[in-house]
Amino acid sequence: MATTTATINIASADLTDNILNLTNTATLNKRGNEEGLDTIISATKTFTSTSAVDLIAVTGFTGTAANKVYIANTSADTTTYFTIGIESEEVGRLYGGDWMFIPWDADTDDDITITPSVATAMTCEYIAFS
Amino acid sequence: MATTTATITLSSADIQSDVLALTKQATLHKGGTTTGLNQTTGLQKTIFTATTNIVLFDSTVLGIGGASKVYIANKSTDPSEFVTITINAQIVGRLYAGDWMFTPWSQSDAAGNIELQPSTVSSLPVEYMMIHNGITQTSA
Repeated sequence: MATTTATINIASADLTDNILNLTNTATLNKRGNEEGLDTIISATKTFTSTSAVDLIAVTGFTGTAANKVYIANTSADTTTYFTIGIESEEVGRLYGGDWMFIPWDADTDDDITITPSVATAMTCEYIAFS
Repeated sequence: MATTTATITLSSADIQSDVLALTKQATLHKGGTTTGLNQTTGLQKTIFTATTNIVLFDSTVLGIGGASKVYIANKSTDPSEFVTITINAQIVGRLYAGDWMFTPWSQSDAAGNIELQPSTVSSLPVEYMMIHNGITQTSA
């Protein structure tokens, strides 16, 4: 059994008068129990087309599980972005420097898709825990 | 202009032979700019006592096509309890006790609400916050 943690810190001194400094740590466990997720897939991919493609397909993943996915746009260009979707539903846009960390159901057809905003080289990195 | 950062750290000494030690910081900008997102719902906490699917964030109020960032955390301590997160009826995933998520949300259409459904009626606490670029105000 592996032990993997994901910690987030959201901080701002000027978003509100009350300083924002939220920290939360999750231990990544399998659904419904305290046994750690024990499989990891990580990759870096560079895209040179604006075509929508599967970034992570459900094949090989257990459906309705407690999978977790991290995706980051490694670019420093804040005008270009990746559109991230699940099946046909758009979730959000990762502009240069942005990242996301979400649970992933990985049920039938729930592939995670990615669509670059431009055809010039754009790179993302991702990690799937299952 | 506000400056807000979101930092993730992923750590594991034993999920693979190579130690996992990743840290990534994002500065939260309005879409396509270097101007910081300057509004927030603030951190909210709700204790859910029904398994009804509810709208957590309404895409029409926020304006379609935004670049909001959403944080949701299941603060339950019972590992069997979870909340199911959906966008426009598409299941994203389940947040089990102690889990959190942080995602961009582009409010792609009027039906693209972020919804939440608790798995239990037994007082399940959830914290959530959105950092965004503005909400459509409705007349009193």
